[in-house]
Amino acid sequence: MAELLVEMTGISKSFPGVHALDDCRFELRPGEVHALVGENGAGKSTLMKVLSGIYKRDAGTIKVKGVEVEITSPRAAQDLGISIIHQELNLMGHLTVAQNIFIGREPRGAAPFLLDEKTLNAKARELFETLHLKLDPRARVSSLAVAQQQMVEIAKALSFSSAVLIMDEPTAALTDTEIDELFRIIRHLRDQGKGIVHISHRLEELKQISNRITVMRDGRFIATVNTADAEIQQIISMMVGRTVFEATPELPEQRDPNVVLEVKGLNLGRQVRDISFSLHRGEILGIAGLVGAGRTEVVRAIFAADRPESGQVTINGKQVVIHGPSDAVHHGIAYLSEDRKRYGLALGMDVELNTVLASLRRFANGFGWVRTGATRKQALEQVQALAIKTPSIRQRVKNLSGGNQQKVVIAKWLTADTDILIFDEPTRGIDVGAKSEIYRLLNDLAKQGKSIIMISSELPEVLRMSHRILVMCEGRITGELSSAEATQEKIMTLATQREAVAAA
Amino acid sequence: MKLTRLTSLAAGSMALALVASACSSSATTAPAGAPASAAAPASAAASAAASAAASAAGGAASAYTGPTDAGTAKGKTIAIISKGEQHQFWQAVKKGALDEAAKLGVTATYQGPATESEIDKQLTMLQTALSNNPAAVCFAALDSKAAGALLQQAKDANIPVIGFDSGVDSTIPVTTVATDNTAAAAVAADHMASLIGNAGTVGVVVHDQTSQTGITRRDGFLAQMAAKYPNIKVLPPQYGAGDAVKSADIAKAMMTANPDLKGFFGANEGSIKGVLNALKETGNEGKIVAIGYDSGQQQIDAITSGVEAGAITQNPIGIGAKCVDAAIDAINGKTLPKTIDTGFSWFDKTNINNPEIQAVLYK
Amino acid sequence: MQTTSAPARSRAQSLLAGESIQRLLALAALVILLVFFSIVVPHFASTNNYIDILTATAVNGVLATGVTFVIITGGIDLSVGTGMTFTSVVMGIVSVNMGLPLPLGLLAALAAGALVGVINGALIAKAKLPPFIATLGMLYVTLGMAQVISDVHPIYFEGTQPSFQQFFMAKPVAGIPNIVWVMLGGAAIAWILLNKTILGRYTFALGSNEEATRLSGVNVDRWKIIIYAVDGLFIGLAGIVIASRMNSAQPGLGMGYELDAIAAAVIGGNSLSGGEGSVVGTIIGAFLISTLRIGLSVAGIPDQWKSVITGLVVIGAVWLDILRRRSRA
Repeated sequence: MAELLVEMTGISKSFPGVHALDDCRFELRPGEVHALVGENGAGKSTLMKVLSGIYKRDAGTIKVKGVEVEITSPRAAQDLGISIIHQELNLMGHLTVAQNIFIGREPRGAAPFLLDEKTLNAKARELFETLHLKLDPRARVSSLAVAQQQMVEIAKALSFSSAVLIMDEPTAALTDTEIDELFRIIRHLRDQGKGIVHISHRLEELKQISNRITVMRDGRFIATVNTADAEIQQIISMMVGRTVFEATPELPEQRDPNVVLEVKGLNLGRQVRDISFSLHRGEILGIAGLVGAGRTEVVRAIFAADRPESGQVTINGKQVVIHGPSDAVHHGIAYLSEDRKRYGLALGMDVELNTVLASLRRFANGFGWVRTGATRKQALEQVQALAIKTPSIRQRVKNLSGGNQQKVVIAKWLTADTDILIFDEPTRGIDVGAKSEIYRLLNDLAKQGKSIIMISSELPEVLRMSHRILVMCEGRITGELSSAEATQEKIMTLATQREAVAAA
Repeated sequence: MKLTRLTSLAAGSMALALVASACSSSATTAPAGAPASAAAPASAAASAAASAAASAAGGAASAYTGPTDAGTAKGKTIAIISKGEQHQFWQAVKKGALDEAAKLGVTATYQGPATESEIDKQLTMLQTALSNNPAAVCFAALDSKAAGALLQQAKDANIPVIGFDSGVDSTIPVTTVATDNTAAAAVAADHMASLIGNAGTVGVVVHDQTSQTGITRRDGFLAQMAAKYPNIKVLPPQYGAGDAVKSADIAKAMMTANPDLKGFFGANEGSIKGVLNALKETGNEGKIVAIGYDSGQQQIDAITSGVEAGAITQNPIGIGAKCVDAAIDAINGKTLPKTIDTGFSWFDKTNINNPEIQAVLYK
Repeated sequence: MQTTSAPARSRAQSLLAGESIQRLLALAALVILLVFFSIVVPHFASTNNYIDILTATAVNGVLATGVTFVIITGGIDLSVGTGMTFTSVVMGIVSVNMGLPLPLGLLAALAAGALVGVINGALIAKAKLPPFIATLGMLYVTLGMAQVISDVHPIYFEGTQPSFQQFFMAKPVAGIPNIVWVMLGGAAIAWILLNKTILGRYTFALGSNEEATRLSGVNVDRWKIIIYAVDGLFIGLAGIVIASRMNSAQPGLGMGYELDAIAAAVIGGNSLSGGEGSVVGTIIGAFLISTLRIGLSVAGIPDQWKSVITGLVVIGAVWLDILRRRSRA
């Protein structure tokens, strides 16, 4: 058998108060795609950060191509041929695509300290051609959509001609077409003899792309199996340590006739074009579409995070004018954004504060003094009701796992007594166990009479959870499907139904 | 669009501000000038009489002679808080004070803030000095009124306060050791007038408008001009904080706005340095009459070469020495005159090398 | 079938919404101001006055250019004013007190400035002090050191050959003093550094996302020190320029000059949060401040109002910048 690209044994790593890795092992063969799975907090990212030189291990050995090595820094890892693409993008927004990719390795000009921009852009173009990527090397990274930014990261990692490529949740922000592209590239690299570590929560995808799957749980290595031989349920059981029964929720037969929210003629630039729809009480309305279809833009316009140019919003039959988010909250609308770390939470603050963040006025007395007795009670209630896994309500939110962070955001909006909840990618970056909890939560909320708009790029999720599905494409609503009639194909068709070119 | 609306709003408010300030500029300087000049003519008249006697030579020092022996003050500490260390003038005051203290066997501490605009720092120094319970305090206030509470504190603790240089605008100091700045500025005005033929436009660059020296020198100059030389137009005084570069730019702006400007009066060393630099940069040396205050190497050179017509010198070493003397007398319980005039002199090319003048100049 | 998401902006679009607009706005404001003053204020529109404005901008222009580097990295430098005083005093000591030839004095000023910069950079990069605090501390240190080594005594440059002031204040070209060319030359060098060299690339990268730059393998600590050292060189240059204007090193002044420098950079479109900016904008900002001050002076506006108006302009400039950014997003 060919020598292993990477062999990690007995790896342990601790942070103050947290035992992140405990006697882990991992190996990577050349020419394989090796998936790494586990619940959030299982240690997958940590293990890979050790391999890529971001963290230093406390114990254990790492062998690269049979030689034992010390990986002391990201640069050292790169020199050894190990590249990592992080889940959170590490890009310099003000710089161009090409400048980002070649940062630290810029081609020089006449003198060693002068830059050669032309060569830089040319090299970038070459790289994109080999990878069949459509990117403009001179585009400013901050002007790109998230999916394209991810492409830049991938291109950057691949530009190092590394033997080992680690990808942490690469498909999270990609549409199906982009995922196919990515997989094509991955297979291409695999066939070239590279070793690819693929960390992901999307088990169906891993079935498509990986050769072997390693499962981790609670910082420990559980098992490595051949993908061909493994069943998804089996993998999930290993991840979670118990069987998880993913039941489809029962949907009510009759739809509640009360229209809670009605939107007419909403317009904002090119991304929101003449949007009209209605939302019923107790309904889960899914909004599907490709990345860039304008789904987030629509809900941000309703929430007035971005002021719409025109349009009417009616809540419970009364037309309302929403100037900004505080008005929206006042009318009972909540928005749980895509990027919960940036827009949904005060990461440095604790669970208690985040829970009451949208309704502080209720917890303050006349002089503006916050009644900590009341906030503590509320936070404890919510932690209980939503089963938020946290050592205490004093825990800083940034230390919680993705799923529990999302629950804190939900807790915040429930505390704010909002009735219309807009979820933008509610389960992104959340592991399987926590996902079903979130689904159950959503169902419960709907049953309680809350009305939910759910934007999701995961078609199975949309199909499972929604009573009705709106499909968007390029800023317009292209179709509406009931839960009974919806299929992945139908959604896809509507999602790609671009505006017909006007006849000459 | 929002952008253009805001731009026009900004432009509009700026225009309003300009119009408002243009209107108020004539209004503000008048009232500020009026009460001061109401008071100034009285003292100006009095010191004009005195200066008429002393005429171009300068102002006579008062008859006060200090103690020959420290008496009960021997070995005690006198705290001296000056207005700053920025200019050589203060270094000369310091020398005079410390030398006199050493001669008579008392300890003197001397400190001042880094720049003459740091009123709060000076007050902090005064506070600290008072809490060390000195036998006496000598104080040159950057802002008389602001120091009121601390002075009361000193009085309550029976610590005699000696004012010097600017002095203190309060009844608490037992005496003030200073130059009669009003009379001195009037003499400067006299010389300016005679040098420009008693007619024309003149600019004034002052260091500040909160300290006694700033106020009295400005008012003394303006009052004398108003009283005796009706054909001379004095432009509204400009303030350069004693910073030579800022004062230079201000002087250049005044020259631009008034091409027929005939003379400049710089009310302290920093200000006149700025004026001299401005004249050099615009090539107007010798074309515009420059009259300054205090000395310093640059002024000495300028006067020697004729670029500067002359200046008023105080007696900084005398101020320092007399300060310590008065403090000692106060500690010994002697009554002191209300003011101790340390005298001033007009000096120019003709008398700069005279020994009496040389004695009071500093580099 | 759609394969990509929202199309990347065309180059023209990026350019229009980009930093270029802020520079254009600053330039437009400057032109409007000049025209306004020329029409409204008598005697403003004269060659001599314009030259005065150029001269008055020289010192601040150099300081602001230096501080631009630091601001682009998302940092700040409060020590530029007193640092300038320190370097001018060092030059005075070398050229006058020690009697060494003038070029050595110039080098000493630059070296002293670089030293201040290196210390700032080390405090920020290695000791991890926030830039505000580190440079604030150095403000006081350099203020004090300037007074210590000069014994609180101005140092006059008479007799240094070739005559110091004569060289820098001479007006061989169009009646404009050489210090203006020094400022423009310095700005040109800064422009090249920022846009054409590795140093510039890393300056922007650091300001845009320091962590990403570090993870990309760039030695962020080392480059921060270098960038602050470059800022220090400009501090040294400013020390030379201000000393030449007064033909002396004045240990008493300098505090407060840093505010004008930062204001110039900000008015010119350099964002205090880092990642973008330009030297061209800074120079325009410096000219704007001088024009405003001198215009108001010539108009006879009292000092107090000058301050208020300058402050309003700074606020207005930053506000417009924020609006522009928001409309671009």
